[in-house]
Amino acid sequence: MKLEGEYTFDGPQAEVWKLIRDPEVLSTALPGTQSLEQVSENEYQGDMNLRIGPVAGVFSGKIIVSDEVPPESCRLTVEGKGKPGFVNGTGDVQLIAQDDGKTLMKYAGEVQIGGRLASVGQRLIDTASKSIISQGLDTLNRALQARVAAQVTGKEVEYTPPSESEFAASVAKDMAAGAFSASRMVWIGIAILIIVLIVVLVFISRGGN
Amino acid sequence: MSDLHDVAVTVNGKKYHHAVEPRLLLSDFLRHDLRLTGTHVGCEHGVCGACTVLFDGQPVRSCLMFAIQANGHEIITVEGLGTREKLHPLQEAFWEAHGLQCGFCTPGILLTVVPFLESHPDPDENEIRQAISGNLCRCTGYQNIVDAIKLASEKMKT
Amino acid sequence: MTKLIGQRIKRNEDPRLLTGQALFVDDVNIPGMLHAAFLRSDYAHAYLRSIEVSAALNRPGVVAVITAQDMGDEWQPGPPLVSPPPTVKGVIFNSRTQVPLARDKVRHVGEPIALVIAENRYIAEDAVEDIDVDLDPIEAVVDLETALDRSAPLVHADLDSNLAAHLVQHRGDYAAARSEADLVIKRKIVIDRGAAAAMENRGIVADWDAKSEHLTVWDTTQAPIPIRNGLAQRLGLSVGQVRVIAPFMGGGFGPKMMMFYPEELLIPWVSMKLGRPVKWIEDRRENFYATTQERVQVHEAEMALNKHGRVLGVSHNFLHDSGAYDPYGLTIPLNTQSHVLGAYDIPNYYSDLKVVFTNKTLTTPIRGAGRPQGIFVVERLLDIAAKELGIDPVEIRMRNFIPPEAFPYEREIIDQAFAPLILDSGNYKPVLEKAAAMIGYERFVRDEGPRLRAEGRHVGIGIVTFIETTGVGPYEGARVTVEASGKIRVATGVGTQGQGHFTSFAQIVAEQLGVGIEDVHLVTGDTSDFHWGTGTFASRGAVVAGNAIYASTQVVREKILKLASKVLEAPEEELEIEAGQVRVADIPSLSISLGELALLANPLRGAVQPGTEPGLEATAYFGPQYGAAAFGVHAMILEVDPETMMVEIKRYVVVEDCGTILNPMILEGQIHGGVAMGIGNAYFEKLIYDENGQLLNASLADYLIPSAGEVPRIEVGHEETRSPLNPLGTKGAGEAGTIPVPALFAQALENALADLDIEILEMPLSPNRLFEILQKKEKEK
Repeated sequence: MKLEGEYTFDGPQAEVWKLIRDPEVLSTALPGTQSLEQVSENEYQGDMNLRIGPVAGVFSGKIIVSDEVPPESCRLTVEGKGKPGFVNGTGDVQLIAQDDGKTLMKYAGEVQIGGRLASVGQRLIDTASKSIISQGLDTLNRALQARVAAQVTGKEVEYTPPSESEFAASVAKDMAAGAFSASRMVWIGIAILIIVLIVVLVFISRGGN
Repeated sequence: MSDLHDVAVTVNGKKYHHAVEPRLLLSDFLRHDLRLTGTHVGCEHGVCGACTVLFDGQPVRSCLMFAIQANGHEIITVEGLGTREKLHPLQEAFWEAHGLQCGFCTPGILLTVVPFLESHPDPDENEIRQAISGNLCRCTGYQNIVDAIKLASEKMKT
Repeated sequence: MTKLIGQRIKRNEDPRLLTGQALFVDDVNIPGMLHAAFLRSDYAHAYLRSIEVSAALNRPGVVAVITAQDMGDEWQPGPPLVSPPPTVKGVIFNSRTQVPLARDKVRHVGEPIALVIAENRYIAEDAVEDIDVDLDPIEAVVDLETALDRSAPLVHADLDSNLAAHLVQHRGDYAAARSEADLVIKRKIVIDRGAAAAMENRGIVADWDAKSEHLTVWDTTQAPIPIRNGLAQRLGLSVGQVRVIAPFMGGGFGPKMMMFYPEELLIPWVSMKLGRPVKWIEDRRENFYATTQERVQVHEAEMALNKHGRVLGVSHNFLHDSGAYDPYGLTIPLNTQSHVLGAYDIPNYYSDLKVVFTNKTLTTPIRGAGRPQGIFVVERLLDIAAKELGIDPVEIRMRNFIPPEAFPYEREIIDQAFAPLILDSGNYKPVLEKAAAMIGYERFVRDEGPRLRAEGRHVGIGIVTFIETTGVGPYEGARVTVEASGKIRVATGVGTQGQGHFTSFAQIVAEQLGVGIEDVHLVTGDTSDFHWGTGTFASRGAVVAGNAIYASTQVVREKILKLASKVLEAPEEELEIEAGQVRVADIPSLSISLGELALLANPLRGAVQPGTEPGLEATAYFGPQYGAAAFGVHAMILEVDPETMMVEIKRYVVVEDCGTILNPMILEGQIHGGVAMGIGNAYFEKLIYDENGQLLNASLADYLIPSAGEVPRIEVGHEETRSPLNPLGTKGAGEAGTIPVPALFAQALENALADLDIEILEMPLSPNRLFEILQKKEKEK
């Protein structure tokens, strides 16, 4: 499966780079991360517990960061394994400074999914991935804005990340509005789970380095 | 092992009290705990309709419910419709019209159709096809099922 | 004699099924029974590095966890079930059969790796998730056409390539025919995968009783006797120690044949190890991964014709996807080879078959079994030729039919039975004429079609023909017994999955023995009752078992008349059997019941005369010389919605010639169901694998089998050309409904979209895929 997209952050490139290297911010942006360990210079291991709708599962992920060019780009290799299946993938992330002080993120990756995750159907994953990626990036963007504001005022600006259930509810809402609202599908949650995993692992890895 | 919860349920007019795990599916409870194996399980995810039973008179997929949800409720399974000696008119119609082959999906279809015929005593073919569109059958091509339901509606009028 | 064969008679088995009283495998409940669940591979192709099962074993309620290592020397690949044809020169066949549990490598998603036995299924499934397995993935072989490239990874590393088999068959001289042809049509035709998706998944209950040293197995199998024989051999038991019961089954459709699925061996094996009864019931997702599939073939086909539309020859090179192993030999592609010539007299033929291993679920016959592919190829090529030559599709078929006087007609190739393919009998033209008349073919082509098209509607007609080789050997048998109650007990070895055998077989017996249908008690699929035979497949039940029952009933009838003649002191010729009584035709008061005769035939005192047998019982066998060829025509009118690409089938007509009809009600039911499955094969059902061998639609929510809204009313007509190969004159019909549907869909869709001038050269389609084909056509313009 191919994952590809763009997102504009309301802040400068260097701040975005810093932000996404901060594991704490990332773990709050996508709730459920239990641990994140650096096992070698470019390799990280993380566990996350996800509960979205009726589906719950623990995933263990390994991430290798390579070809890093701060604050512009890096390549990620992800191996994730959980009870509902596995995810292996590589992705390239680029941060491009914009004239107006904003930052354009471009991401493109190739992901292999197996087990129960794959069998629920590609069409669901497409819809779900769009929603989850945009939700996750929106959350990060809010964290970024809070940081930028803090730098300007010299004070901490309060930022409250969404809870697991709020996040799941938003995704479910997007999914219900999507193309398969009339489908016979019951295991929507599984598809959501996988996408959250992909996104989280991608962000965790970049944050940890 | 999870805690056990009490379930008091009336199935086919008979009262049962069982202690069950909260995750026990209603379909498994009926089939394996109560030994009412006429309710069949075809897909375990609510698509095929084979496990349909009546829950307070309404058709539900017993594979999508937990046994504990049935606490205090009334369930009818295929065993509660008619006996081999005295078939329900719907069962008779399925026999006469050859509305079944392997018979695996049949209990779910019968229990979908019982309330349907109550609300649609004189259904046309389209209504019948819509009513059973959530029940998959791999043997009959549905034609004789449709005819059987039509025949049953006539039998039940008289 | 009251005529019962050929009557619409309600089924004996229905009251049990309708009241929830019929026994299916999952209904078996034995005290102390344990439950099984499997850990299966998430990868299509991977090395198995390690398995850690201690967490699973420590879970309360878990009794055992079995891996390949735990099986020791008892770990062995399954037996090859159908060996390659010995009669064809130069055949290559690399036999690689499925293993009980993966040992060093997994070869398809869903291949079992470990078996967990626990106090209940919930615990067993929890424990499966406790197992930590290290799989090291390698590139998967998925695409059929690149699987034979030198650079392709190897499914079986000990082979030089992924070639599983290679076989060439020919007749006449195709190259010469081609050089004389006025027209040569050449196309690439691709058929993709589908599932049988019986409503009941597979299941096995095994109960080893150590004290009586006896194993009882309830199995969702279409072939209990071969399973019994194989289990006895593998488990070191005598066949008398093993009883296999195939109880009521929620549909078979092929994949429940004698497969020797890993589970089929493991569950009895583990029951013996533990000394406890064990149940395993497949879930729906497992059914999509672990139950066999069918249909994938890529064809490069060519048809040479003269300008009058007579086919001079067909050439056909094709690839067949066997999946990861090939226990079922060449049955499917041999059926394709023998059906690519359809119902037509085609003197020159060349066919090159390559079977390929891939990292996908195994393929074995599913209702149709290679025939739908063959019929699709020949009917498509004929349609394209008809268009090129300006000949009507019905007319070009008429011109090429095998004429009635040419039967028995020798194809000069071998078929799935490894015997020369001979079509026993047929009279095709009246069947096609009847179907054309029923659907109003001429009227539609002349008036209705043009009128609807002028209104801007996309309505089209299709009409295609097919043959089906049915009723293959080797043999079946039956035992018929008159009991002291006057009831008749019939035992046969075939299993039954909804075909109505309890009724159609009873009709054969009841007619001969003058009893009511309800007085015939039939036992099928229990090896303790009858243990010679092969099983229910290849549309052979009514032909092979039916005639075996007929033969044994004849012997019993003779015994009845002989004994009654003595008792009633009247010559046999003057006796008749009616309503359970044998009586003297002219003196009805002089009679004796069958029950009394049965008692007299098995006396407690006195002597049974030397040379006679006790009881009114006979066992007989029937083995056909070769298969009986059924024929049929399907026609339909459909409308395509140009917005949604959904099709509405407005009329569907089937005219079937399957020889003597035992019970038209049951036959029509078989046809209805077959057509429904064919509609799925044509427009809804496709198993989608990604490039890594992951199945992407392994649920009934995503793999769409037709519902009541998609299947139209089907009008059925009959012709009866008796088969000369068996006393009843029957031919099989179980698969007939399914075989021609994809070919019919293609023709009708092309006709409905005639203004767009598309060619349908693939199956299955879907609304989506049809849209893509139309888009592509638009771009070309």
